[in-house]
Amino acid sequence: MTQIENMVQYDNGYTEEEEDYMMQEEEWDRDLLLDPAWEKQQRKTFTAWCNSHLRKAGTQIENIEEDFRNGLKLMLLLEVISGERLPKPDRGKMRFHKIANVNKALEFITSKGVKLVSIGAEETSAKEGLLLWCQRKTAPYRNVNVQNFHVSWKDGLAFCALIHRHRPDLIDYAKLNKDDALGNLNLAFEIAEKHLDIPKMLDAEDIVNTPKPDERAIMTYVSCFYHAFAGAEQVAETAANRICKVLGVNQENEKLMEEYERLASELLEWIRRTTPWLENRMSEKTMTQMQQKLEDFRDYRRLHKPPKVQEKCQLEINFNTLQTKLRISNRPAFMPSEGKMVSDIASAWQGLEQAEKGYEEWLLTEIRRLQRLDHLAEKFRQKATSHETWATGKEEILTQKDYESASLMEVRAMLRKHEAFESDLSAHQDRVEQIAAIAQELNELDYHDVASVNQRCQSICDVWDHLGTLTQKRREALERTEKLLETVEQLFLEYAKRSAPFNSWLDGAMEDLQDMFIVHTIEEVQSLMAAHEQFKATLPEADAERQAILGIQQEVQKIFHSYGIRGDLTNPYSTISPETILSKWDKVKKLVPQRDGALQEELAQQHGNERLRRQFAAQANLIGPWIQTRMEEIGRCSLEIGGTLEDQMTQLKQYEHVIVSYKPNIDKLEGDHQLIQESLIFDNKHTNYTMEHIRVGWELLLTTIARTINDIETQILTRDAKGISPEQMKEFRSSFNHFDRKKNGAMETDDFRACLISMGYDLGEVEFARIMMLVDPNACGVVTFQSFIDFMTRETADTDTAEQVVASFRILAADKPYILIDELRRELPRDQAEYCISRMPPYAGPGAMPGALDYTAFSTALYGESDL
Amino acid sequence: METVEQLVSFNHIHVQLNGGAPWGFTLKGGLEHGEPLIITKIEEGGKAAQCKKLKVGDELVNINGSALYGSRQEALILIKGSYRILKIVVRRYFYLSLPLSLSHS
Repeated sequence: MTQIENMVQYDNGYTEEEEDYMMQEEEWDRDLLLDPAWEKQQRKTFTAWCNSHLRKAGTQIENIEEDFRNGLKLMLLLEVISGERLPKPDRGKMRFHKIANVNKALEFITSKGVKLVSIGAEETSAKEGLLLWCQRKTAPYRNVNVQNFHVSWKDGLAFCALIHRHRPDLIDYAKLNKDDALGNLNLAFEIAEKHLDIPKMLDAEDIVNTPKPDERAIMTYVSCFYHAFAGAEQVAETAANRICKVLGVNQENEKLMEEYERLASELLEWIRRTTPWLENRMSEKTMTQMQQKLEDFRDYRRLHKPPKVQEKCQLEINFNTLQTKLRISNRPAFMPSEGKMVSDIASAWQGLEQAEKGYEEWLLTEIRRLQRLDHLAEKFRQKATSHETWATGKEEILTQKDYESASLMEVRAMLRKHEAFESDLSAHQDRVEQIAAIAQELNELDYHDVASVNQRCQSICDVWDHLGTLTQKRREALERTEKLLETVEQLFLEYAKRSAPFNSWLDGAMEDLQDMFIVHTIEEVQSLMAAHEQFKATLPEADAERQAILGIQQEVQKIFHSYGIRGDLTNPYSTISPETILSKWDKVKKLVPQRDGALQEELAQQHGNERLRRQFAAQANLIGPWIQTRMEEIGRCSLEIGGTLEDQMTQLKQYEHVIVSYKPNIDKLEGDHQLIQESLIFDNKHTNYTMEHIRVGWELLLTTIARTINDIETQILTRDAKGISPEQMKEFRSSFNHFDRKKNGAMETDDFRACLISMGYDLGEVEFARIMMLVDPNACGVVTFQSFIDFMTRETADTDTAEQVVASFRILAADKPYILIDELRRELPRDQAEYCISRMPPYAGPGAMPGALDYTAFSTALYGESDL
Repeated sequence: METVEQLVSFNHIHVQLNGGAPWGFTLKGGLEHGEPLIITKIEEGGKAAQCKKLKVGDELVNINGSALYGSRQEALILIKGSYRILKIVVRRYFYLSLPLSLSHS
């Protein structure tokens, strides 16, 4: 790095300066030319300069002469100046240590290529001093190494070197041979004596042969050299030095001037370069870049400028020093070239510092601005993204036409949802405003990507406005739809309310109109017809109601059509569709005339029935009495006493003929009755006679006549069979008739009893009961004339067939009271004989023989009993 | 001596005999003899006895649904006309004895 180089150079330069300065002091001392003021100034300057470096090492000097004496601070100074480390100083207080430290410092200087002309070790002892002197003087000679005052001098080269060093004309050192110690020594001694006025104090052979030559002797001899050379040398040196010094000073000065110029140029150049950089107000886009700039600036302040500060300072010092030097050495003052005056430099430097300040301020301001911008931009981004996320999809939701086919409930739910959305929307209003505000600020702060920010902000605002519009539109649509659906709801309810009863009425009407009626009278039909007429009178009103109800449905349909509602047309409150009502109504309309017809038919029917009834009645009213008359005739006839049974028979046969001839009437009546039955006529108020009556009567008549005839026949038979004379018969008849109180051809129990008593039968209860059983076996409670006759005739007739059989057996048994088996077998067929044998009980009466059978008991049993 | 009044009453008893003749009973009497038609014998182990309903002394009043007017001839014809089933109704009289007074005089 140039700076360090400069520093080294500088140091080098300055070290030389120091040397010169010290030499100058020597000279003044000698010449007694002291300028105290100048000296003071120089001292001050130099002290300051030293301190400026020593400060870095954390130490200071007050006094140049005193404080460098122990060499420590000197070494420190050198370390600071060079930036290198010196060998560790001896930390001792002894002179030896101090000397060593100073020597280290001087060695270091020397190692840097700085020639040290004068010796600096101030506190050396004579011996050491002398040794040092020898070492110094022989330093350039490689093969010479003076370490002591004995063996080091043995090869004689040291002496030769000493001589050659000061008087190279006296000795050709190159030709010397190290191994020729004797020669060397002698040569040195010789020259010293001849030319340097130094007597031969030493013996060459002596030195060579002695392992360790006498130190003191050599020392003494060498000190002569010292005195010889040092003195002369000093003089020569002084003269040479003066010249060199003067020239050197000149050279130095010139060098310094050049140096100054150069440095000044460089510094000015550096300032010139740096200033624009500090005046650059071109802002970076990002904060990172600006921070980098700040970092660069800091580097500048920390790393790049300090050396320059030093340079400047140094330049000043140089200038001052130079001027002082020139003044002191009576030279004209140094006039730097144009533009490189100290003032120029100062003002340039000032400008630099101004620029710096301005730059730093600007940097910080810019950084703050960029920071804010970054922050804002990020905020904007976040808010915008969050908002955009929220807004995504809202448009689709708002443009839904879902309400067109929704029910009232659903639309209401949608409205509520929409309300919620609206409040959400207004909550977001703030946010949109915030976003816009941030965008505004970004614009004001001149954000680098403000275009995209504005674009995004604009799109957000556009979308926002659009959402607002859509929200409003949707609200309106939903409200409108709600109203319509409410209206429809009402209509549906109305429809339901009215259609239900009307439907019931229709059902009832249909039922009534189809009602199967069964009527039996004209009046009944007529009342039905009246009811029907009443019903017909209600039809117009019903029709009006029908139209009203159907009208409601039409109303609903109209609404749906005009407003494009796509919902469900079916009425949720009613299951009765308009179609149902219409169809039922049509049916009712059809049924009404049908019923009219039916009723008319029925009326006709009833009229017909009435005719039939009358017809039947007329007939029956004739036939009934006629039958009755005949019955009476027959009854009278059978009660007749006068006339024979044959007469009776004839009469009865006549009657029979009449009756039989009358049959067609009955048949006709039956026919009429059939008609009546077929017409389902069940009653007839025009006659008390039913067909059954007539039939029964007729059959009874037939039966009566037949029975009566049969009766007479039987009487005739009985009379003939029983040989009842007509008088007897008459008597029987008379008795019977007399006791037939009711005159119906039969006697009641009491009558019969009375009759029996009248005929002389004294009957006890038991007897009478038995007789009753005979005459009225069926317990009818009446005694017919036939039974009466039978009873009467039995009492007198010989009908004991059992006795006849007994008599027959007696004949077969030859009048014995018993019969024998052989006799039976002989007289009867085998089967009957065996039958008798097996059935006849043994005879147990008097005179019984074995095998005698009792035929009497048998016969009695036979006829009195039947085995079944 | 106690005086008792005797009332006569009767029951009608319906009997069905199955199986065909002989039915196992004997009839006596009849209108021809001036007597009621009475069962005078019931043969042991016969069909009439097995039915356990008929008793000696029962009067025959109905055969196979036909009411009898008392003639034995009629009854015989009806009975003999029955093939496998004979349905008869008999009248059974009984006397109810009612003590007139309970205290001795």
